[in-house]
Amino acid sequence: MLRIESINKAFGGLQAITQLSLEVNEGEIVSVIGPNGAGKTTLFNLITGVYRPDSGRILFEGRQISGLKPNRIVDIGIARTFQNLRLFNNLTVLQNVLIAQHHRLRTFWPASVLRTPGYLRQERRMHEVALEKLAFFGPRLMSFRLEQPVEVLSYANRRRTEMARAMATGARLLLLDEPSAGMNPSETAEITDIIRRMRDEGGYTIMLVEHKMNLVKDISDRVVVLDYGRKIAEGSYEDVVSEPAVIEAYLGKRATAEGAQIAELGAEL
Amino acid sequence: MVGAPSFGPRGVMLRRLLNAAAAVALVVVLFLVQSSGSVKLGQVFALFAIWGIATVSLNLINGVTGILSLGHHGFMLIGGYVTGLLMLPEAARQNLQFSARNSLSDFALGLSVERWMEGLGLDFLATPETLGVRFVVALVLGGLLAAAFGLVVGFPSLRLRGDYLAVVTFAFGEVIRLLASTPLLASYTNGALGFAGVPSGFGKSVWWTFGALAITVFVLARLKKGSYGRVLQGIREDEVAAEAMGVNVAYHKVLAFVISAFFAGVAGGLWVSWVGTARLDLFLFTLTFYFLVAISVGGTGSITGALIGTALVVWVRQYGDPLEQAYPLSTWLAAAGVVLFVAGVLGWLYRRGRRMRPAAHPLVIGAAAVGALAALLAWAGVFDAALAARWQGFGMRAIALSVLLVAIMIFKPAGIMGRREFEWTWLLRDKRDVPSDEERAQDAWLRVGERAGTAAEPRGVEE
Amino acid sequence: MSVHAAPRGSSTGRPGALRRAAPWLGLAALLGLVVWRMYYLHGVNENFNAAFFAGAAVRSVQLGSLYALIALGYTMVYGIIRLINFAHGEVFMVGAFAAYFLFSATPFAWPVAVVVAAVVAYGFLRFLGFFRVLGRPVVLGAAAVCFVAVAVALASVRFGWLGAMVASMFLTGVLGMAIDRVAYKPLRGAPRNSMLITAIAVSFFLQNFGLLAFSNRQTPFRPPSFFTGQLTFQVGGETVFATWMIVLVPVVTLALVVVLTSLVTRTRLGRAMRATSQDAETARMMGVDVDRVIASTFLLGSILAAAAAVMWGMSFGSINQPAIFGILPGIKAFAAAVIGGIGSLPGAVIGGVLLGFLENFLTALFPRVGSFTGITEYKDTFAFLAMILILLLRPSGIVGEDLSEKV
Repeated sequence: MLRIESINKAFGGLQAITQLSLEVNEGEIVSVIGPNGAGKTTLFNLITGVYRPDSGRILFEGRQISGLKPNRIVDIGIARTFQNLRLFNNLTVLQNVLIAQHHRLRTFWPASVLRTPGYLRQERRMHEVALEKLAFFGPRLMSFRLEQPVEVLSYANRRRTEMARAMATGARLLLLDEPSAGMNPSETAEITDIIRRMRDEGGYTIMLVEHKMNLVKDISDRVVVLDYGRKIAEGSYEDVVSEPAVIEAYLGKRATAEGAQIAELGAEL
Repeated sequence: MVGAPSFGPRGVMLRRLLNAAAAVALVVVLFLVQSSGSVKLGQVFALFAIWGIATVSLNLINGVTGILSLGHHGFMLIGGYVTGLLMLPEAARQNLQFSARNSLSDFALGLSVERWMEGLGLDFLATPETLGVRFVVALVLGGLLAAAFGLVVGFPSLRLRGDYLAVVTFAFGEVIRLLASTPLLASYTNGALGFAGVPSGFGKSVWWTFGALAITVFVLARLKKGSYGRVLQGIREDEVAAEAMGVNVAYHKVLAFVISAFFAGVAGGLWVSWVGTARLDLFLFTLTFYFLVAISVGGTGSITGALIGTALVVWVRQYGDPLEQAYPLSTWLAAAGVVLFVAGVLGWLYRRGRRMRPAAHPLVIGAAAVGALAALLAWAGVFDAALAARWQGFGMRAIALSVLLVAIMIFKPAGIMGRREFEWTWLLRDKRDVPSDEERAQDAWLRVGERAGTAAEPRGVEE
Repeated sequence: MSVHAAPRGSSTGRPGALRRAAPWLGLAALLGLVVWRMYYLHGVNENFNAAFFAGAAVRSVQLGSLYALIALGYTMVYGIIRLINFAHGEVFMVGAFAAYFLFSATPFAWPVAVVVAAVVAYGFLRFLGFFRVLGRPVVLGAAAVCFVAVAVALASVRFGWLGAMVASMFLTGVLGMAIDRVAYKPLRGAPRNSMLITAIAVSFFLQNFGLLAFSNRQTPFRPPSFFTGQLTFQVGGETVFATWMIVLVPVVTLALVVVLTSLVTRTRLGRAMRATSQDAETARMMGVDVDRVIASTFLLGSILAAAAAVMWGMSFGSINQPAIFGILPGIKAFAAAVIGGIGSLPGAVIGGVLLGFLENFLTALFPRVGSFTGITEYKDTFAFLAMILILLLRPSGIVGEDLSEKV
């Protein structure tokens, strides 16, 4: 579904991504892990069009998307959430999720002023879709929450709203940037479940950046490890976690030299 | 619609009924104003409507989309001059053509809706009775040309950040006015002289102006409530997130400029009609300043707020003359004393409201005391001899408005209304924001601590 | 704010020699075109001779220096708090009127003299505070002496242009600090749009307050001075008629710029200013009194604006009414700052001088000839058009400091 072919990206003198190639198949859940600064968010930015790769190509369903503007890429079928949350703070939960659907509106602005039947039909549909996506999270974001500005919501609820918003765009591939950041273990378990349901029931393909290894282990079909902008390992969670290069990336050279002890630690993470 | 504050299934009907009742009430008021015989009152109402159109359209860019635009007077200039030129009566055109002080080209003088109608064979639309139809045509054309310039000004908005963009829009407004007096455009504007004789029956008429205002408010309110309005607000909140959610930010920003400029052009046309003359000094930056005050005080992002602010600004402009007369210095001292005293009282109230301690800050008490003392002494005539010289209050209105603006920016930047619009639900107390049962259930854990100070147990994911 | 031009090119290596030489080659080409145009005009009409162009050039430098002084105020404030101080043009206006009253209405009555002297001394005190090397007792003593001297002088003597200028500089400096304290400080941390609107409000307030308090018509500005006297010199056999102001203005400007630069580069406070402009939070954590630094920036900017105002008045012989006088010079100086590179001190000077040349020399290069009416009527739009062009093509300005934020 998504194919990244040898992309490179540099910012001034800093090479953020080097010769990165990656594939994500439909229906997969792929996790991207790596130490801080490895380029994971940069990778997301490249896929979603915020940055343009210096070289290489990114293809989505066979179609070249590298170099397109972010809003075009959403039209094509990729949406994301943000590491540090970027909601429309003063707008309500419902408005946040409705805005994500605007790009599929087929009428021009006069129709919204005149409230033509075509426009009203689309509005109704957008509301239905919004409620449908918000319902993924149970009653938490429903009823009275719909009309509350997102800035009064709890942190976890805001993360959920952002995910619902990304789903509402109608994208088929979702890039989730640290979806469980700031959540406690039970909330994390719940999010793990929801992400799985998103794939199973919603039919989404999901790529996520995560730091919580238990989440990664539970949910990923495949894990990709980045370090200093390069892919250093790829495969199932167990394979990847026992790779010496990965352990070295997380724990450093000296720790790796202490052999089996560390391998055990890695497997336990 | 789901989620809109409503009264339930009968709610929509009730809201429509209330809206209709309000409209009827407005018509009655306008009728009374019109028949009251006071010309000035009618003109004030008309000015309110005209400036209301300008403010509400400016609010679309500034408040709803969050782009600070300072060039609104430029769009009004374009619309005003186009409408004025197109509506000049034949007699005025003949006079200008043979006048020595005229720079208007023959081509420009030939631009007349009346002539076009005759040319198209629609003679019935060239009669005095159909002046109104021609005026509408002229207004729309003025608006369209202004909208075209809105397109031009909208493009820099894609590349420039907030404050730079504000300056570019300011530059646009000034450049338009400066260029209008140069030979480049004088053949269309008659340079610094402008031209008189624009039919003023429309700008001064409450019906015409309020009619235009009603249309403007209708369009912009519907726009704001619909999907496009949501998207513009999303752009205001977080442009990057909006783009990440599929919004074509560039298109929508330019759209906001174009729509806003159109209505500004219409407002300009009505403004020129109100004055009866097309003159460059009608379109100074001062105009945009008034609108900024109106928006900031009334409520950035709120149409009702913009109208409230406009009412205030128009009131100050039209009825503020007494402030700018000449009074003896002792009177000015008394006034200053009163202002100081009121400021002290307001300061005290503000501090009390914000729970700042001490509420009666020495500065606050000092200001109030000095103010009261000065006012009382001046009123008692103590200073009558020493401060008998007369001083004229030049610019007091603008001073009052600028002080108000600074105060609003410091204390309540979102304005009186903030981003809220007026809702009928406000008037029906029992339907206001009362926590529903679900909300109570979900927030129950917050109230646990109220019972004998027991610590709240973590209720799992029900936060 | 930066005192040095921003380094250009990527950090992976210096760009090629051609790339670096390109701007200078472009400049040379431009100068070539200008010289060619001058010769062409001379051929068309003998009056467009060397003296004519020399006069235009000299006036350009004069006007450009004035713009530069005002632009410095804009650029410093923007560099420190990222605010376009719309009110700076009005501060310039107040500087002119303050000086006017100082040289035309002195001697003052005792109470007035004391109050004015107090304000001047306070400004002087804050200014001296920049020079750590002087030590507190010296600074306080100097300010006290200043207060007494100025009070006595104001009450007994007619001020000359120089005294008026210096006193006005400190008066206006205090005004700048007051504006910051009252209107901008409560809004630190507010969104930029709010601050801009507040600045506009302050600008209108000052304009109308000036109308109320100073004058409501154009005012002659003719303090007796050697410098307003005529100066003639010969260029290529012809006489150029000017006043000695064409010497005074650039010289004073240069002196002030030198003082400002050494202040910013060599004093502790200057270092604090540069730190604050780069990262106010961190500066605060390093012990910098950010509020004091910001106040000082306003003080310096306003001092320069007042100097420019007095010299402006002396150059043109009159000052317009308060609601008009400061608007165009203010916004043009801001445009100059943007053109040169906002946030950069050399940028402001370069932008200012460039704008001076655009207004005076460019109009001389395209004068009224035959049926061509010349571009003098469009003079006022040059600043705006140049600014818009720069913002669209090279937003960081000529000297270029990249002030963009990371997303």
